[in-house]
Amino acid sequence: MEIQVEEKEGFHVVTPVGELDVYTVPLFRKVILKLEGERRHDIILDLTSLTFVDSSGLGSLIETYQKSQSVHGELAFVIDNPRLLKVLKLVDLDKVFKVYPNLGRALQSVGISGGYVDEEFFSDTK
Amino acid sequence: MATLSSGAHSDGKHMDVELPCSKKSVVRARFKIKKFADDHGFSAESEDVALAVVEALKNVMQHACPADGMIRIDMKANGDTLTLDVVDTGVGFDIESLPIEPPELLGNHGRGIQLIRGLMDEVSIVSDQEGTVVHMEKRHAP
Repeated sequence: MEIQVEEKEGFHVVTPVGELDVYTVPLFRKVILKLEGERRHDIILDLTSLTFVDSSGLGSLIETYQKSQSVHGELAFVIDNPRLLKVLKLVDLDKVFKVYPNLGRALQSVGISGGYVDEEFFSDTK
Repeated sequence: MATLSSGAHSDGKHMDVELPCSKKSVVRARFKIKKFADDHGFSAESEDVALAVVEALKNVMQHACPADGMIRIDMKANGDTLTLDVVDTGVGFDIESLPIEPPELLGNHGRGIQLIRGLMDEVSIVSDQEGTVVHMEKRHAP
């Protein structure tokens, strides 16, 4: 897995590419910790380039969410893959994560509170 | 037909694979299981099945690596049902300790079994001092 980080409109967009699983979680965690250490608390996790996520990967997303909450940062997820959304829903994370279908929508809307999923977008992609 | 390693055996719609109890086996198992499911008409379900087996394997690796260091996966394609058994000869555990309710939403534990139950149509676990069998079934989506 590789992880790209870039700054856009005041947010740090973190894009893991490949698989987020028991193997690759340490690298992901390292990148998030580095951002936290630099007090960069407003993050968009762009998960559109992920090909696989297991429970370890989900755990790392929860850790990121909890860290963000603890410092009152903004955190949004970009997911365009119905399969990944299905996995999030199986463990009810769609009820707390803010999920947008593309980066533009995430940057526009990231300030809203509570869980959010663009159901209309995903109904078209099934 | 899936490509088999020296630790695997197949006769058409049945395949069993023996893998070392190590992290590397998780990725190998995932690809083997997905390919078996794809090859036997379960393409629509293969990602679910592969993830469920990954979670079962990770659980063995975290809690019960057997003394012989091997885990066996039996796969059968039978009509509209794919059956998978993840078998280990580790120390086993108390089935009663498994959570029935979903884990705490943001908690650290229990998400693997929650995924297995959500992804598969039937799940049963038998465990004693001689080992554990996680039995899973997945049917074709209607």
